[in-house]
Amino acid sequence: MFAAETELKEDPRLQAIFEAIRVIPNFPKPGIMFQDITTLLLNHKVFKDTVDMFVDRYRDMDISVVAGVEARGFMFGPSIALAIGAKFVPLRKPKKLPGEVISEAYELEYGTDCLEMHVGAVQPGERAVVIDDLVATGGTLSAAIKLLERVGAEVAECACVIGLPQFKVKLDSVYMLVFHLPFNQILTIYLFFG
Amino acid sequence: MNALTGNSLKISRVNIVSKKFQRHSPSGNSVTLKSPNTSTNFQPIRATVTGGADSGETHSTVLSTESARDQLRPDMAASPDVTDGRIAGISAAIRVIPDFPKPGILFQDITTLLLDPKAFKDTIDLFVERYKDKDISVVAGIEARGFIFGPPIALAIGAKFVPIRKPNKLPGEVISEEYSLEYGTDKMEMHVGAVQAGERALVIDDLIATGGTLCAAISLLERVGVQVVECACVIELADLKGRDRLGDRPLFVLVSSI
Repeated sequence: MFAAETELKEDPRLQAIFEAIRVIPNFPKPGIMFQDITTLLLNHKVFKDTVDMFVDRYRDMDISVVAGVEARGFMFGPSIALAIGAKFVPLRKPKKLPGEVISEAYELEYGTDCLEMHVGAVQPGERAVVIDDLVATGGTLSAAIKLLERVGAEVAECACVIGLPQFKVKLDSVYMLVFHLPFNQILTIYLFFG
Repeated sequence: MNALTGNSLKISRVNIVSKKFQRHSPSGNSVTLKSPNTSTNFQPIRATVTGGADSGETHSTVLSTESARDQLRPDMAASPDVTDGRIAGISAAIRVIPDFPKPGILFQDITTLLLDPKAFKDTIDLFVERYKDKDISVVAGIEARGFIFGPPIALAIGAKFVPIRKPNKLPGEVISEEYSLEYGTDKMEMHVGAVQAGERALVIDDLIATGGTLCAAISLLERVGVQVVECACVIELADLKGRDRLGDRPLFVLVSSI
């Protein structure tokens, strides 16, 4: 669900967050409109508002784990974790985490990739939020959810700054602050509800 | 120490414990403060790790107590530093993984620190207390573990956060700086326009080893006219002499280990 569909509908912070995101055409390849959050990070007030909006949502939800997806999830997750008193767990590409890990493969447009989490980082019964800067197909978030569920944690929600309209994977609970459409393009939007 | 006591991972005592804490006197010289010697600060270092990321075998690696003691720095008595309690908790929360990424390397794993909300908060607080009144407008964090510590510091001191990244990750126009590795070279990149000439910056990473990536990050910032006020890391691997490679640029670390 988008923040604008909740009681935050008229919140002026959402417009500022939307405007702080830069769109870079044809990155990483032609036809892709890349949603660049680095410009948001350069604006202290907007960055703080972004974190605050997630903190306000999760502080009373009994969350003990914030799992951030490498690498842009690392830019938002720790601040949220610190504010709500949760631990921060990095979910990383293969071979980055030094200790024993569990892995979950997921599909890319061409081929597969893998997300890893340290064994022992999360205990059964813990409630977790997964954070990333953006959700597109939902493949990465899906893999993240599976990693946490495999060790017995409950994923209360996934949280992303930006939501794009091309969900291919059914995700029950994703909370997004802003919605970005690629501009200057004829759009066909596929929304898959599983 | 946190709950990393799953079936295949046992840490009897977490690692390295030289709690060297560097501060800079107003004249710009660096002064080393040593924490008081108490028996609880120094224990034999033993890290036992079973299992590996890429094999089903179990093996255990025990560092010898004797070599561990060689690594400990005996303290001179000093009046208790109010930050001592926090440093001890931070140091204790860091996990050492032997032979990662390759044999002979003792990897300093900060992910266990991140699992301890108090220790993680203390880490950030120690940096924030140091920098909040220093007119810092930029916190530059080095991919990827610098992204974990940098943003909370930036948010707390009112600065912007600038990610310094490996090649081809940043989508907009970038400037690049090459630096040398043991074998070959690598590059760090920063977005054009992220920082302005005259801004005052910190460079953050989880750890300084040889200092190569920190130097590259400093170069990127200085090339666009930014003043790098200090580099800040949680951990310093002192015998790799990264501090020397930084030359006259100040370095602040919370935990120093050999």
